[in-house]
Amino acid sequence: MGKIKKKGTSGQAKNFITRTQAVRKLQISLPDFRRLCIFKGIYPREPRNKKKASKSSTHLTTFYYTKDIQYLLHEPLLAKFRDHKALAKKIARSLGRGEVGDAARLEKKGAPKLSLDHIIKERYPTFVDALRDLDDALSLLFLFANLPSTSTVPPKTIALCQRLCLEFEHYLITTNSLRKSFLSIKGIYYQATVQGQDILWLVPYKFVQRVTGDVDFRIMGTFVEFYTTLLGFVNFRLYTSIGLVYPPKFNAKSDEQGGELGAITLEGRGIEEPKQIEAQANRHVNGDMDGEIEARGANEEIQKQIAAVEELPDADFDIQDGNAPGAEEAINDAIDTFETTGDDADILPQPQASGNEEGSLFAPFTFFLCRETPRQPLEFILRSFGCKRIGWEEVLGDGAFTNNESDPTITHQVVDRPPLSSLPEEQVSNTDSDVPATQVVRPGHRIPGRTYVQPQWVWDCINEAKLLRPDLYAPGATLPPHLSPWVKPTKGAYDPTAPLAEQEREGEAEEAEGLDDEEEEDSEVDAEDAVPASKAKPPTDTDMIDDHGMDVAGSESDSDSAQSATSATSSFAGFDDQAASESETETALTQHQRELEAEAAGLTFSESAQITKANGTPVKGILKQIKGDEARKKAARKRREEEEELERRKMMMGRKKRKLVDKMLYSNKAKDEEAEKLRGKRRRIEAGKT
Amino acid sequence: MAPESASKKRKAVTRDSPESEEVALSDGGDDFEVALLNGIQVQSGDEIDGDSSDLLEDEEESGEELDSDEVPSDGEDDVRELVKENGFSREPTPEEELNGEGPGANYHITKDANGNLRYVYNEIDPVYDSDDSDAPATTNTIGNIPLSFYDSYPHIGYDINGKKIPRPAKGEALDALLDSIEVPKGWTGLTDPATGKPLELSQQELEVLKRIQMNEVPEEGYDPYPDMVEYFTSKTETMPLSAAPEPKRRFVPSKHETKRVMKIVRAIREGRILPYKPPPEEEEEDLDVKRYDIWANEAPRPDNPTNIPAPKLPPPGYEESYHPPPEYLPDKDEKKVWEEADEEDRDKEFLPTNHDSLRKVPGYARFIKEKFERCLDLYLAPRVRRSKLNIDPESLLPKLPSPEELRPFPTMCATKFLGHEGRVRSLAVAPSGHWLASGGDDGTVRVWELTTGHQVWSVRLEKGEAVNVVRWRPGTEAIVLAAATGEDVYLMSPRIADLNKEVAAKSREIVDAGWGFAANGAKSNTKKEPAAQWVRPGSRLEGDGVLAKFGLRKTVKVISWHRRGEYFATVSPQGQTSAVAIHTLSKHLTQLPFRKLKGLAQSAQFHPSKPIFFVATQRMIRSYDLSKQELLKIIQPGARWISSFDVHPGGDNLIVGSYDKRLLWHDLELSVRPYKTLRYHKKAIRAVKFHQGGLPLFADASDDGSLQIFHGKVVEDMMENASIVPLKVLRGHQVKKELGVLDLDWHPREPWCVSAGADGTCRLWT
Repeated sequence: MGKIKKKGTSGQAKNFITRTQAVRKLQISLPDFRRLCIFKGIYPREPRNKKKASKSSTHLTTFYYTKDIQYLLHEPLLAKFRDHKALAKKIARSLGRGEVGDAARLEKKGAPKLSLDHIIKERYPTFVDALRDLDDALSLLFLFANLPSTSTVPPKTIALCQRLCLEFEHYLITTNSLRKSFLSIKGIYYQATVQGQDILWLVPYKFVQRVTGDVDFRIMGTFVEFYTTLLGFVNFRLYTSIGLVYPPKFNAKSDEQGGELGAITLEGRGIEEPKQIEAQANRHVNGDMDGEIEARGANEEIQKQIAAVEELPDADFDIQDGNAPGAEEAINDAIDTFETTGDDADILPQPQASGNEEGSLFAPFTFFLCRETPRQPLEFILRSFGCKRIGWEEVLGDGAFTNNESDPTITHQVVDRPPLSSLPEEQVSNTDSDVPATQVVRPGHRIPGRTYVQPQWVWDCINEAKLLRPDLYAPGATLPPHLSPWVKPTKGAYDPTAPLAEQEREGEAEEAEGLDDEEEEDSEVDAEDAVPASKAKPPTDTDMIDDHGMDVAGSESDSDSAQSATSATSSFAGFDDQAASESETETALTQHQRELEAEAAGLTFSESAQITKANGTPVKGILKQIKGDEARKKAARKRREEEEELERRKMMMGRKKRKLVDKMLYSNKAKDEEAEKLRGKRRRIEAGKT
Repeated sequence: MAPESASKKRKAVTRDSPESEEVALSDGGDDFEVALLNGIQVQSGDEIDGDSSDLLEDEEESGEELDSDEVPSDGEDDVRELVKENGFSREPTPEEELNGEGPGANYHITKDANGNLRYVYNEIDPVYDSDDSDAPATTNTIGNIPLSFYDSYPHIGYDINGKKIPRPAKGEALDALLDSIEVPKGWTGLTDPATGKPLELSQQELEVLKRIQMNEVPEEGYDPYPDMVEYFTSKTETMPLSAAPEPKRRFVPSKHETKRVMKIVRAIREGRILPYKPPPEEEEEDLDVKRYDIWANEAPRPDNPTNIPAPKLPPPGYEESYHPPPEYLPDKDEKKVWEEADEEDRDKEFLPTNHDSLRKVPGYARFIKEKFERCLDLYLAPRVRRSKLNIDPESLLPKLPSPEELRPFPTMCATKFLGHEGRVRSLAVAPSGHWLASGGDDGTVRVWELTTGHQVWSVRLEKGEAVNVVRWRPGTEAIVLAAATGEDVYLMSPRIADLNKEVAAKSREIVDAGWGFAANGAKSNTKKEPAAQWVRPGSRLEGDGVLAKFGLRKTVKVISWHRRGEYFATVSPQGQTSAVAIHTLSKHLTQLPFRKLKGLAQSAQFHPSKPIFFVATQRMIRSYDLSKQELLKIIQPGARWISSFDVHPGGDNLIVGSYDKRLLWHDLELSVRPYKTLRYHKKAIRAVKFHQGGLPLFADASDDGSLQIFHGKVVEDMMENASIVPLKVLRGHQVKKELGVLDLDWHPREPWCVSAGADGTCRLWT
């Protein structure tokens, strides 16, 4: 007979350690333990069997791997923590004695400096590992760069975060590695690809952040401490890899004036003659043509240089000359396209030649940002997509290409203000050379020969990787929906970009039609109800005749549709009330649209109203209903059959498997329902429009 | 100093002597005299003192007495005064005595309670030289005993003079209250244990306390910092104490010091000692800016299998856009639901909102909160690797033959057979497939045309007892029907009108063949009574076509034919040893193969091809080899009470129905335990049946009024298990008194099924 095994000496009982035990073992305080865990990236584990792992009966225990804690015992930071504790005691003692000077000296001299360098190396043995983990780091650092300084967030930290973020952005600009961006209600998402790693981060809009009481800034501060170290090393590596001097020159004065990206000047790393690569070389005196030309010349030179820098794969090369031999070599680098000669051969897939076409999307343009547009993200995006000349109004800060809105070189102007229709488009003749340097263009004026777009155009362009029609994004135009570039169309999921007909189930439209029809009618009634009310109240610029006519028409159609609606409800049992109320506003909008169109066509309102009514004749409606009814019945039958079949098949499986399948079916069904709901909404919206 | 010592001496003496004398006197005389002599004693003591001290300490203190000659004279003055007083007190005038207020009187005389004279002495003024300077002023002389001893007396002790110290008047409660209201200066609220009076502090004592409170020395007028007494004066004396000349070192510079200074100077000159420089301040900034490549010599490290990297946040979807497609916007109800939900219950932490233009987008209120929560997740959340099942559920579902492959199977009720009164207990389709025989509670056996539902023949067996079972003899060359009612089993050949004459004759012949044999056999087996006696049923029944009958001991519930039609077995569950009987048709012979059966026999079946016989008891099914006469296998379906079972035509599979709602498929090659357990019925299963004509179908009938049709394909390949597919639930029979469908049978060739219901109908399902 073997030796009797003692309980709690092996297996899970040994492999896991509770947090309290860990803290005791390390002989540090809980906050210190927390910091250590954050730095070292140690997180709790879930034992497979909690009862076996814990000796107590409490459920809310967190477990760590014993080996993890064992490994923490050798951490040099632990000694630092202890030193710090000793120092704190010393300071407390001198303060107790009233020796303030001593305390100050101790605090100044004796504070052990935490260096996290070795941890970075330990946690990220390769650079790619670090890049892979950069998402959270960038999100947090960008948040801290936008925070106001408080007692919990010292200004030094904020400054450091700002500097690191700007440096990182500069790298992305020089290498054109920004890929996508998305305006969400939370902030702006960016995605960059650095050395094959996709990095996605979120930058808040420039507003004062609301801080709630339940946020512990000590914890976030610990993360920030770690992430700043990480991003510092990453930046160093990135800069040196493209032959730039790492701490780039930081112009404090420009930064104070809101220079942001312009406050940092990149430097090339050369042996003979360190040539300056100025990202902001195009800063020039307003309206000074000579300076402009000069700047443009410089620009080209810089562009060439940067291009050369990018094209050479080796990191440690010297920039010998401004006119680096780049162009031909770059072409040779590209993958040759292989074309099959015979018909029977297999075609091997080749990666697309992803070149700098994307990176130089905005290269030929000169942008001007109006005062109301968010300068920082626009500048960053435009620069990283090749735009070199970005001007903005002086209030937006330092570092603009031009502050003069009437600069003739400007090709695009980003505007985000409603157009004033009362002002006629004025032909401002400021193409002359003798225009005063600081000419102020009156707001609302449009300078001819220039494209005016809303900011969304920039985002949609880079996500589509091509220039979109600017007229869709003209100031005052109703913008097309802004879509996330990361949603991949999956089977069964709803895709707003694809037409509705492609995604629908077979017979779904007909099925819904009958129901929709009713809803539509009802919603029309609602709309009719709503419109007079909304029209009557605000003193709009619409004519009084229109108003009158509308009243009459409205009352007529009211009674008509009300009758038809009631008849419809009596014939149909499953009537959806809520959907109707939902589409009310939509219909009101479309109604308004229709009215506007009619106005343009020169019809009076009553006529147009009649036309719209005539379109939806009751006969047609009834036909539709019948059709929808049939379709629904058919679909129901089919569904029933399918269900039966499924049930039959499920009967054959074991209990466990059946449960699994049920679970999967449930989640799939939830997804399908979601998609169907969206499709239904869209169908209703589309129906309301036509 | 001198006066002090003198007074000390004097005090010491004055204290000692009177006491000693007092003691001596008190031995002889009474108190009264002592009181009288008091003054004398003092006087005499003083005199002695003065003399003796002078005499004794003449030599020692001669020098001192020179300085302070006034003091003794002073003392003498006092003494003189005392003497004067004493002298005066010796002859007090009577008036003074009475008044007690003589100018120099030490005492006054009063009358005590008894009318006696009482001398009351004045308080002795404690002047400097008086005899009670240091001694504790013990006013009560009772010693160290509790005051409570005096509780019963009007006094609380005695003073030094032996006078009773009266108990202080304890004022009324009102007085006490008044006292407490106007608190006198030194009031403490305590009672002095020595006197029993309220302890009041004197002015002096209060001042002492005050000084103690002020952290001062309690003694009044104590100067903690007196002026320094310069013992060694700072003033140079004109006449020095020592005449030694001033040493040289006082005015020659030290060579040693020069040496040391020069050493330092040299060190400074040579640069070994550097002047102090405050440490540089820029160090901090350096730490933040990284100046080296940490991944200069990077080496990939294989990932630890236990390491789970933090999952990345999912990229935003369409609904997070500042200007999403309109279908993503919530309608009123969705919005309301979202707003009313608790923050933790929301499926999305934000509400999709539409903004016409970028300038209208507000800041996101939960930004910091979300980032903080992410931080918490990163370091607090236990990470578990969960393999996400991204499998199409279709793939998990078993591959089923397509419904077309499974066809044909019965789907609907084609014919109803109406006629029985009460339940139809049993039915059977004739091997030819043309007729259906049924027997029910009304005691009749009826034969119907299967396709039309016409009753073609009917016979009422005896005494109206229920017909429990009817079974056709296999084989199409003759039609022989076995039916059991009560303990009797009948064999009949129904007289059906359109029946072939040959077939009718053949069937008659088959049944009648045994009569002769029975007669012969009866002769040979005289010693043992036969298990059953085969007899003719009587003329009435014979006219109807009933050819033979025999009785068993208990009610027969099951009849099952051997495939050749030569043998058939009957089961009567109640008859213990005679439960299972095997009958030989050609010999009219009945045998009881089992002497003892474990449990109640429920059913019995012949193997379709081998000489194997299955007998089902309540829980087990046993298979016996008939040729070797031995037990082959015990099959354990695990059911509580087996109702019926059937053997697959192939012979290797069994289906078992049980009263505990289960249908069990046994693969005899596989195991004695069921291969599949099917539980689709809500009530007990009454009958199960395989299709015998080559179609992979089987069915069961249950008390819930439904039949269930299954596809059960047995593959010849041993490696493949039988595939069982539920096909159809046939509903139609009504449930009467908890009973639904009682029996079922398959058509021998077609995919048709017939069922007998408790509602008195039979149904044909096609």
